[in-house]
Amino acid sequence: MCIIGSDFGCHDRVVIADKDCKEKTLDTLANILYDNAGDVMDSIVRQSLLYDFYGELLTEHQRAVYEAAIFDDMSLGEIAQEQGISRQGVHDLIKRCSRILSAYEDKLHLVSKFQKTKQMVGEIRRLTEEFKKSRDESLIEQIGQISSDILEL
Amino acid sequence: MAVKMRLKRMGAKKKPFYRIVVADSRSPRDGRFIEEIGTYDPNLEPSAIKFNEEATKKWLSTGAQPTDRVVKLLKAAGLQ
Repeated sequence: MCIIGSDFGCHDRVVIADKDCKEKTLDTLANILYDNAGDVMDSIVRQSLLYDFYGELLTEHQRAVYEAAIFDDMSLGEIAQEQGISRQGVHDLIKRCSRILSAYEDKLHLVSKFQKTKQMVGEIRRLTEEFKKSRDESLIEQIGQISSDILEL
Repeated sequence: MAVKMRLKRMGAKKKPFYRIVVADSRSPRDGRFIEEIGTYDPNLEPSAIKFNEEATKKWLSTGAQPTDRVVKLLKAAGLQ
């Protein structure tokens, strides 16, 4: 079900900024977030990404409703009022849009390819930095290997 | 006048990033909001949630309604 794999969700970091914007990290809360918010937050991020890639394939009306829900976090009732349709209508439309976007992803895999490429480019960057320090030639070969892997995607 | 706490998507394409804002429920789509009280960045590993504690408490105590998603973030931050 989860299209973007394990990139999101687990072990989120919580930072509370106090008045002077000094930050303190609350490590102990990381697991609470995973239990309580993992699914919900994962799903909005996933829907956002799918929309970024395939949103233009939706109709104008679908986009207006889907953006209100996913980008502006509006409730079904608020969207219904704004669009002049029923709550049920909004609910069905959002469901249908999610299904349409997921169907595109199942066929085209653009989001998962993007995620993998991003991860591998990150790896190349890391190896490059390492090479600058160590001048270890074997790193160059690893970088070459990852580059070929990216072209294979 | 109902005041809501909601997420607002910012960030470039393919790079979602959210502000947590306090906004009037009747003018939510024009981008105007009353105050930004935090951020949620799922791009980082692990993803980062920030709240301005003082402002958040102030708005919660004056009856601003958080959306379901914001409630999750508040709970994660131990603010509710």
